[in-house]
Amino acid sequence: MTHGLTDAQFFDMVSRFLGPYYIALALMNGLAALYLWRSDQTKTWFRLPIPLTGKSLPITNVIGWLVFALLFTILAGIGGKSGGAQLLELPESWREAINTYTDPIWYSVITTVGLVVVYVFRGFFVKPAVAWIIWNLMWLFLGLSMTDSDFFEIVAKPDNVPIVMLVFLLAFFTWLGTYQAVINDRRKENGEPPMEKVNDEKVLVWPDLVYTELICMIALTAFLIFWAIALPAPLEEAASSVKTPNPSKAPWYFLGLQEMLVYYDPWMAGVVLPSLIVAGLMAVPYIDFNKAGNGYYTIKERQFSYIVFQFGFLEMWVTLIVLGTLLRGPNWNFFGPYEHWDAHKVEALNNVNLSEFFWEKMLGRSLPGTLALADISPSLDPSNWVIVPWLGRIVDPFLQFFSLLFGRELPGTLLVLGYFIALPPIMALTVFRKFYERMGFIRFMVMANLLLFMGSLPIKMLLRWIFDLKYLIAIPEYFFNF
Amino acid sequence: MAENKKMSVAEILAAARKADGGSSGEAEPPAEAAPVEAEAAPEAAAPETEAAEPATKPKPATGASGGRPSVAEMMAMARAEKGGGAKPAAPKPAPKAKPAAAAKPAAKKPAAAKKGPAEPRDTASILAAARKGNKPGPMSKSEAAAKAKDDPKGKAKAPIVVPPMPAKPAYAKPAAPAKAKGKKDEVDEGVRDFLWVGFAGLGAVTALWSLASLKFLFPNVRREPPSKFKVGFPDAYPAGQVQTKFKAQYGVWVANAEYNGQQQIYALKSVCTHLGCTPSWLEAEQKYKCPCHGSGFYKDGINFEGPAPRPLERCAIRIADDGQIEIDKSRTFQEEMGQWEDPACYVSV
Repeated sequence: MTHGLTDAQFFDMVSRFLGPYYIALALMNGLAALYLWRSDQTKTWFRLPIPLTGKSLPITNVIGWLVFALLFTILAGIGGKSGGAQLLELPESWREAINTYTDPIWYSVITTVGLVVVYVFRGFFVKPAVAWIIWNLMWLFLGLSMTDSDFFEIVAKPDNVPIVMLVFLLAFFTWLGTYQAVINDRRKENGEPPMEKVNDEKVLVWPDLVYTELICMIALTAFLIFWAIALPAPLEEAASSVKTPNPSKAPWYFLGLQEMLVYYDPWMAGVVLPSLIVAGLMAVPYIDFNKAGNGYYTIKERQFSYIVFQFGFLEMWVTLIVLGTLLRGPNWNFFGPYEHWDAHKVEALNNVNLSEFFWEKMLGRSLPGTLALADISPSLDPSNWVIVPWLGRIVDPFLQFFSLLFGRELPGTLLVLGYFIALPPIMALTVFRKFYERMGFIRFMVMANLLLFMGSLPIKMLLRWIFDLKYLIAIPEYFFNF
Repeated sequence: MAENKKMSVAEILAAARKADGGSSGEAEPPAEAAPVEAEAAPEAAAPETEAAEPATKPKPATGASGGRPSVAEMMAMARAEKGGGAKPAAPKPAPKAKPAAAAKPAAKKPAAAKKGPAEPRDTASILAAARKGNKPGPMSKSEAAAKAKDDPKGKAKAPIVVPPMPAKPAYAKPAAPAKAKGKKDEVDEGVRDFLWVGFAGLGAVTALWSLASLKFLFPNVRREPPSKFKVGFPDAYPAGQVQTKFKAQYGVWVANAEYNGQQQIYALKSVCTHLGCTPSWLEAEQKYKCPCHGSGFYKDGINFEGPAPRPLERCAIRIADDGQIEIDKSRTFQEEMGQWEDPACYVSV
């Protein structure tokens, strides 16, 4: 999109976008202020003493948002002017820092720590004023980043617009749910019923719900039509079986799965893990034994479920989609959001299997080979047999496979078996003792295995990023890799 | 009169209608005249009628206590009327019942509510009772009560008399197969033949249509390059070079490189062994790199980075009779199976 544009032309194009963008943000803040004022939800943050008069001016949230609106109006004036976008760039050093800290290891560590911080201090982060400031900062960050041509190229691509919307919508809805949960938890502490039970008015399906749905349906259809006209789907050249676009990206909702395929065998990441996600979600109602939280938002009464869900959804699913969209470039290499997509970026990704690591690097010997009937003893060589010479052809593949599994790949086999067989009982005896007592053997085992499968993905990703580990068990001879 | 005969349903209903017409015709004027009295009537009438009414007319009496004459009442009246004329006051409802009946427009609802489900009645039981009642006539009060009590049970136990089936008319009788030799049967045969032809034709058309749709699944033109093709003379491949110009057309790279200490010309299939994307040869990095999940392969096709589990596949290659290199894509050789030792997959230089 930005190819073949001079800098001046590019900034002109961005200016045409930034003017309306900042005006919309100013309107958003102005309307918020108006709404709070008219609905008497004014809150005084502090009182500004006016010198000499001895009086003080109350600084309320309405005034605060009006100041925001004013700032965005000024930004619209600067950025919307032809070529003015150049003045609204993020400092080069900031962009460098962001590029550095979006390499996979930092990215995963920072998102995880960030989610933990937001979770622990959720009482602070869900305050409407705090959340509103973060919301404004998110939009401001997007606006300032748009003046970077590499960032603009990725974000403004019609394919990727839904991801940007997803990030904002997700932030909003996560806040909405958490806000109500925090209020309910606080009410519970004071011995009050949750909010949902206070105003427990019955609403009729017809007309209340059906009308709402109808209006939503019409509005959404209108929005989709507008979207389809405003951002036409990018058409590429005719498909060819011998030419793959670089980078070749799945539809945005599958980018998490595509990212999974980088770390696992196609059979594992394409079939087993997706099926387990579906089956696991279906199993949730059956393994859930906690009756609290039925019909109202709460976090304290369902801490385990909440954390597991948010980890699986926000951390694994959404974060991987964002990573696949924004940070994966040509040749499926990692690129920072402000980094140029260089198809010739060289990254040393010399991956090794655990067996190679163990036998060759640690023990300094060659990989153990496979085993056939003839190897055990010449008398067992089926070709010498008269009666059943075909037996070797049947037995040998099995013998070969298991000799690989428990010979060459022994370290990985032991690790994987230990992970899936030894860990659940240990969990039942230690951390999850109470769960085990309440759930019983089968339900606990189902839950433990689903949890371990979910955990196996980030573990494998970290092993790949830190140790360049390819597979724990690698038997490509039989398409069996883990 | 039809004393000996059982009444048919039609007769009973006709009688009931007649009785209803008579009663309502007489009942209306007083009801209009004295609505206040009518409102008070049901409460007063109910115990009074039941107590005072002689057992001669039990059914009208119970009906009268409920206000509007019920179907059962009408039935009973009709029966009384027709079955021998045992009562002098047969044509009309009993005089005592009259005020209650007259009260029907106003008192219908309260009366019904008050009466409740004491006497469940339905058409079947009424009819059964009517048919059973060979001996219509006076009935004692206890008899009536007993009858009313086990009415629901009696209904279930009432023997259902089924009229004999009418004889089958001649035209409905199946034709005897033994005699199927007439002209008429020949026509049947013709129709049957025609049906057979029709079904066979339908089957044939369906089969053809299925075949045609099956054919539709296969393309008319297959833009698949031939599996065997020639790529020029061996001296066109200098050592250490990967020739990429056949990738777009045939999907192979032809390389001249060292493998296992031996200089070979070999053809690698440009299909990633991870999920089948097409990698690109990066000259600067001297590797094949897949754009889908980042798998990387050395010049000889051995996988070294990304998720690809095994090396690229080699195609069969040989020197044809005219001295050119001929590649056969239909035969592939996999390194992990030890097939690269096969001299059919390389040309020694």
